[in-house]
Amino acid sequence: MTEVLEGSRVPVTVLTGFLGSGKTTLLNRILTENHGKRIAVIENEFGEVGVDQELVIGADEEVFEMNNGCICCTVRGDLIRILGNLMKRRDRFDYIMIETTGMADPGPVAQTFFMDDEMRDKMQLDSVTTLVDAKHVSQHFDDSPEVTEQIAFADVILLNKVDLVEEGEVDKLEARIRSMNAAAKIYRTKDAVLELDKVLDVGGFNLDRALDIDPKFMEPEYPFEWAGVYELEAGKYEFAFEEGPDPAMKAAILPISNADSVELDLARDRTVLLFSGEEHPVEAGKSIVPSQKVYELDLGGGKSSFGVEISEAGAYALFTEHYPEEFEAELRGNGTPLSPVLEREYAPDHEHDDEVTSVGITTPGDLDVQKFNAWLGDVLQNLGQDIFRMKGVLSLAGEDTRFVFQGVHMLFDGRPDRPWREGEERTNSLIFIGRNLNREELNKGFEACLAEK
Amino acid sequence: MPRGKVAGRKANGLDTLWRASLDDYVNDLAWSSDGRTVAAADVAEPISILEADTGEVLKRLSGHGFGTTSLSWNTRGVLASAGQDGKVRLWDVNSGEGKELDGGSQWVEKVAFSPDGKHLVSSAAKKIRMWKRSGELLWESEDHQSTVSDVEWKPGSARDLATSAYGGVSLWKPGSPKPARKFEWQGSTLKISWSPNGKYIATGDQDSTVHYWIVSHGMDLQMFGYATKVRELAWDAHSRYLATGGAEAVTVWDCGGKGPEGSRPLSLEAHTEFVSTLSYQRRGNLLLSGGGDGLAVLWEPGRTESPLAVTTLGSAISTLTFSPDDKRAAVGSDDGSVWMMGIS
Repeated sequence: MTEVLEGSRVPVTVLTGFLGSGKTTLLNRILTENHGKRIAVIENEFGEVGVDQELVIGADEEVFEMNNGCICCTVRGDLIRILGNLMKRRDRFDYIMIETTGMADPGPVAQTFFMDDEMRDKMQLDSVTTLVDAKHVSQHFDDSPEVTEQIAFADVILLNKVDLVEEGEVDKLEARIRSMNAAAKIYRTKDAVLELDKVLDVGGFNLDRALDIDPKFMEPEYPFEWAGVYELEAGKYEFAFEEGPDPAMKAAILPISNADSVELDLARDRTVLLFSGEEHPVEAGKSIVPSQKVYELDLGGGKSSFGVEISEAGAYALFTEHYPEEFEAELRGNGTPLSPVLEREYAPDHEHDDEVTSVGITTPGDLDVQKFNAWLGDVLQNLGQDIFRMKGVLSLAGEDTRFVFQGVHMLFDGRPDRPWREGEERTNSLIFIGRNLNREELNKGFEACLAEK
Repeated sequence: MPRGKVAGRKANGLDTLWRASLDDYVNDLAWSSDGRTVAAADVAEPISILEADTGEVLKRLSGHGFGTTSLSWNTRGVLASAGQDGKVRLWDVNSGEGKELDGGSQWVEKVAFSPDGKHLVSSAAKKIRMWKRSGELLWESEDHQSTVSDVEWKPGSARDLATSAYGGVSLWKPGSPKPARKFEWQGSTLKISWSPNGKYIATGDQDSTVHYWIVSHGMDLQMFGYATKVRELAWDAHSRYLATGGAEAVTVWDCGGKGPEGSRPLSLEAHTEFVSTLSYQRRGNLLLSGGGDGLAVLWEPGRTESPLAVTTLGSAISTLTFSPDDKRAAVGSDDGSVWMMGIS
């Protein structure tokens, strides 16, 4: 009779972001839009703009660590008190927004909704939404761990104030943020304007949507860093290098049917396979031809040059292991440098050694449940402090249904999901977002959990 | 004043005498010292003064914006209240007039008159304040490490206070801004309960434990194994039994003799959801528990682990308290009902 049904839990959105990133602007937008919801707002910070709403409750951040020293048990005492009182009311609210201070650690806020029975019974954390000031955030990346933590915890990221920054800069920033948190939805906004359904009821902590992640963000790391698409006439070209950091570099050149990004992506996937195969050494001065081969160009440590022989006019994709600019490398025709019609970088974290990264694992096959449990237990115990979020869909040996899970630090929440469909490949996809994660080790550990066929 | 004999010796009944309906979730219930009226605070604004015999609403006091959190009567019939509007109010219940005091924060968590009725303590955010019953501010504590979760007068004392907050328990002698003593413990304490003989202080904690201090030398014990955070604590009149919630079962520790260390507590089982409130008789041996399951259950720990009586009230019980003569108990619930139970 007093049992709380899943659907009756009140959704909670946690808004994080530095002072000036636009939290209050977004909040006011949400409150004034005609959505028919009764929204209660908990404010930890009185920003530059007042929030125009009847029920705004001010709160002082109180982080309660537990005696056992476990950071996962750390909760926000102020929220338990305020929300506990709020949820007693008969005229319950339909939605709760919590605006944290710019310097807040989202971990304890999120954990409050898992660790405290009362909170968990009555409320459902919907998402952590982080606002990023596109103009100023870069200067905070290095001096403030809070910025990266807020990005790492987020389900939704608003790259705000993009109107104040050149598009190329925004692209770079987005790539950098994406490399930290590959699971979040990123929107570019001006004055924090976007459709409310992108922020409210997004189900970031909802197991049903645990892996509603754009699959392209689950890609493995590429073995090459750069690709350029060139429109070339038949003839002889020159791939010229100045002195660079490495004595050799792998490269491949493939014909593609069109100089567009769709074709480039197809070529990219083929090239991933090529790079895992045998490479063909090429001495300086020799030539390469478009083919399904990976060449290892012997750069010799100084200036060097290679011929590129094109027998048929068309579009070609050139993939290089390192960035060409590291060697001031150019593709030249008749001695003139050529510009690619399309360029791609495949290691956006290359320029920044950000501590916070995402490790995605996508592996077909079934998991041995015991091995997986032991492995994950081990990972969480050893890395729990450094893992901010994880999400995944698993294929467990002997089970007809998918298993979905998600977690915050060491807190783990999982359950069986829908049955695997007829003809659907049983695949495991999971993602860890955290600090100092070892991609190789995580992948290797996970692979070792696959059941023997 | 009615003088009751110790009730419940052979007793075995819980009779519903009446039910009154308030607006919303009942936060607190307080008996006037003559046992004639019960003040009821709910999360909506007004405070209702109910006639104890009939349940009739004698008076509606305007209460506190965003809800009244706590009530306390003194022996002269002054009612103090605290609320989410940051105020403390002292009410003349007959006229309905209230004197407003500044609680010192956006909200005030608790008010309590001293046992002699002369002083009032209020807790708000990180401080506690002590007032004369006339409303004059006498003293304010320094900041606690975090928000004060609970405050209690030492039983029988007009000078000693104990508070709980994140970081443990502080003992205060109003006059000095600093605590007289501190029982430190890194954890979040939610509720404090001083044994009637003043020798022990128990706290219920966020991390599903109960902490227990021996006041004379500050030695502490911790009780583990609770299912959820513990906010329900009640001492029996003889300071022997400490009843605790934090689970579906009521767990009772025998603190007599050698104390609870290493002992097995009594486990009283009747509730099907978490216990939400506990109260011992003021002089007798009976314990009343309320639960999220809407059950009110009467126990006599130490005599039997079986319930003496179980009554289904329907809605989750939020608070309950025995009358001054121990013959009745007022019970509040989350749907705004107030029940009067006769203990037979």
